[in-house]
Amino acid sequence: MTNQTFGYAGQAPGDRREYLTLAFSPLSAPLRSRWRNNGLSADFLGDYVTTFLPADGTMAAPAGSKKEIKHAVTYIANELLENAMKYHEHSVDIPIGIHLELTGTQITVSATNGISDGQAQCYQTFVATILREDAGELLVRQLEESSRDAVSVKSCLGLLTIISDYGAQLGWRFEVHPDYPGIMTVITSAVLPLKDLSGAAV
Amino acid sequence: MKTIKGESFEVELQNDNSTAVFRGALRLSGMEDYAPILELLKSTLAGIPTPIVLDLRELDFLNSSGITMFSRFVIEARDHAGVSLQFLASEAIHWHARSLKNLQRLMPTLVIQLT
Repeated sequence: MTNQTFGYAGQAPGDRREYLTLAFSPLSAPLRSRWRNNGLSADFLGDYVTTFLPADGTMAAPAGSKKEIKHAVTYIANELLENAMKYHEHSVDIPIGIHLELTGTQITVSATNGISDGQAQCYQTFVATILREDAGELLVRQLEESSRDAVSVKSCLGLLTIISDYGAQLGWRFEVHPDYPGIMTVITSAVLPLKDLSGAAV
Repeated sequence: MKTIKGESFEVELQNDNSTAVFRGALRLSGMEDYAPILELLKSTLAGIPTPIVLDLRELDFLNSSGITMFSRFVIEARDHAGVSLQFLASEAIHWHARSLKNLQRLMPTLVIQLT
């Protein structure tokens, strides 16, 4: 496996930005205990982002759009964290991270976790499908398919809802881990253009 | 009345066995955890078909596993002859308008009442 980037590549550096990163030691608690922390962390990021809207402080966003942005960030952070926790490779001591970044034109939420080469290949196949097809159509098809599956399907429906329902652009960075053979770090990023959230243009 | 409660949510199936009220934030970790709620909803489909109402006006948050749970119920309801299904939703809760439309694509006769 080699380092690879897919989807939206993000914004060129130089724009003024505010950011916050949280990191979790995946070995410190069982998944069920950490699940509660996903919600707490996602709620915190949603609250935090509205404090800095907009990043350059030139104009206050209307109260309604702040609420909408808060909800969008909370939902996206929650989904990315849930996926990072579910699919993280637990045999290695790589932190799970969630990163929020705000510029004058967009909000980026990124989650980082470790995965095996095999999982990375599966994920990259799904990423290729997302990039090739219409997310809304794919979402409805996956909902239909999941209803016929008695057990939980690993369909990454959350990623499809982030694109289809919130208008975010997704990007992925897969990096070979320097210390653990057969392990990669994956960064999944969701970028929300502020102009697409009602009244939030800055 | 049947009730399922969690740390951050509550689901009530009212005595008419056709109205379910959701409150709080639903962020359970997968379909296994959502199974009791799905079973509660499926119980509304037993017997003579009646209009079924899911009141989400106080459901502030739903994760994608919750969306999958609702989609499974909607598909089950769609496949029952004579069932009519209505979701009560709120314009003030942003995920309602954004995500419930996907359920309508699964069941075109589904009514979503936004207030």
